[in-house]
Amino acid sequence: MLDFITDNLSGFWVVTLIAAGMNSIIAMGVYFSNSAGALSVAHAAIAGMGAYMGATLTTNFDWPFPAALLAGASVGMATGIVLALITVRMNELVAGLTTLAFGETMVVIAFNIDYIGGANSFIGIPLYTTFGVVYLVLAIVVFAGWRFDRSRLGYAARACRDNAVTASAMGINVIWVKTLVFALGGGIAALGGVLRSHYILVQNPDDMGFFFSLNFVIFWVFGGSYVFWGPVFGAMFLTIVPEVLRFSVQERFIMYGLILTAIVILRPQGVITRVPLGGRISLFGLLPLLRHRLGLEPTNHPVPAGVADHENPGEVSLGPEGERRPQG
Amino acid sequence: MEQFFQQLVNGLNVGSTYAVVALGFGLVFGVMRVINLAHPEIFMLGAYFTFMLVNVLGFDSQSLSLLAGIGLYIGVLIVVMSGTGVVGLVLERLVIRPTRGTYLLIPFIATGGVAIFLQNGAQRVWGADPVLVPSIIPFHALNLGGVTFTSMQLTTFFTGVVVMAVLRYYVRSTRWGRATRAVAERADVAAACGVNVNQVSQLTMVISAMMAGAAGVSIGLLYTSAAPFMGLLFGLKSFVCMLVAGNRNIEAIMAVGLSLGVVEALVTGYLTSNLRDAVAFTVLLVVLFFRPRGLFGSYDV
Repeated sequence: MLDFITDNLSGFWVVTLIAAGMNSIIAMGVYFSNSAGALSVAHAAIAGMGAYMGATLTTNFDWPFPAALLAGASVGMATGIVLALITVRMNELVAGLTTLAFGETMVVIAFNIDYIGGANSFIGIPLYTTFGVVYLVLAIVVFAGWRFDRSRLGYAARACRDNAVTASAMGINVIWVKTLVFALGGGIAALGGVLRSHYILVQNPDDMGFFFSLNFVIFWVFGGSYVFWGPVFGAMFLTIVPEVLRFSVQERFIMYGLILTAIVILRPQGVITRVPLGGRISLFGLLPLLRHRLGLEPTNHPVPAGVADHENPGEVSLGPEGERRPQG
Repeated sequence: MEQFFQQLVNGLNVGSTYAVVALGFGLVFGVMRVINLAHPEIFMLGAYFTFMLVNVLGFDSQSLSLLAGIGLYIGVLIVVMSGTGVVGLVLERLVIRPTRGTYLLIPFIATGGVAIFLQNGAQRVWGADPVLVPSIIPFHALNLGGVTFTSMQLTTFFTGVVVMAVLRYYVRSTRWGRATRAVAERADVAAACGVNVNQVSQLTMVISAMMAGAAGVSIGLLYTSAAPFMGLLFGLKSFVCMLVAGNRNIEAIMAVGLSLGVVEALVTGYLTSNLRDAVAFTVLLVVLFFRPRGLFGSYDV
């Protein structure tokens, strides 16, 4: 599958793109889970648990790879449901810290289970993951993200994220929505984890720690947390850039740290943003925006960020993203 | 019983440095609502600054008298704390001030980028392997009823206690400390009452960085080593101490830091060292589930 692509790329690019694809899948898991306002920094742990499950099944029980992928994903979904039920009533910060503690506890548990290798890592995993498989899964996940953004569930999740009280007053079952999106995100992250363990052929407890989870949260916020291809862009960019800066490992990461800090300071809302417009979306919302800019019609949809409102001159609407970031 | 007291002493020792680093986290988080991920790296820089300074001075610790060693230690402490204070000042001006007051994750990621930069910068400058920090306090051991105190352990503990006492005096009993508490409570009202919020934030950041530097000196000399990634786990655990205690009460952070050190030492001594790192996070899970704002309350975010 997709041999014509891999044949024409150098080995460097195949490896880099596979890594970027796997990171994108886990970052999409973060996007789904966090879309309803529960900040999760345990996605490396969820991916690692899925990876342990999948690797055990293929290595010790000779399961076929697709079945192992599904089994890993269901472990991720179950973990997601548990975490969602624990964090559902917490605010973003406390939810984030609870998931942090959960992830670190999972690392210690994995260190102490000898069946999955303990501190010696799980080794001897067969190689199943190829370029084609990674990008097939990524395509499915991105398609799901695209449909999710425009679905009833996606709108409900964004409503919960912006204001859970108002959302429940509008008849949205907040607990159900939060649990469902967290479970979806957990499943997707676990898919990424199973793919990764069958590519690097070793699964290490340390890979589930806080600093790996933090990486995926960075991909998510860097790319833009309100639109489904933000995390994909973030993961692709931040995985490929350190590889392309062909210095020594340390110099690469020095540059990486500087670029990350600079871009976050210059563009705190994320690199890719699109303010969701109400009603029908035509050509990425460009047409309504253009008509509004030209003053051809009064708008009945929310005004995008930073656009002057013609009906109330002198006022600049901040849009949904602006409201989430109070000054002071 | 002797083993118990020995573990208690070891635990209080490490605990006092946990408390100092956790107080730095708590100050910045309380006053600026910023989780400073670069804080553990400032601690790491403190240990490396000690390494450079002691090597430049080039003393043989065994030839010094105890008093001269302690004098030298205080000198090193002051120089390194000033150095990390400058790092904190630059960090506040360049990274934290532009991102402060936005969404919580933005300064978190910006300082995270600085942390990656500092870790790998240290690796580039001083190498990936741990370096040996020569001790400057001559080795003496004090034996009290079967429990051994070394001179370096006592110095570490004493440093932690003095730093905490000075911080407590500053926050509770000085004019600037009152301004700091006012900003932590409500920054906008404090500004309306004539407090210069930016100046207070800058000063808080410098103090927090100086405390991390002091902890770096103590730990570097206690374990006689400095490594580029020494800040990661140590900083994460200190951060957990701050969360368990809540950031409203500095005495609570001190108490939780000391207790974490003791509990870890007891787990290492009586159970297994594998479980040592799990203690902090298990406690955090339980505390956050029942008291999401920490045991002694936190400021609103």
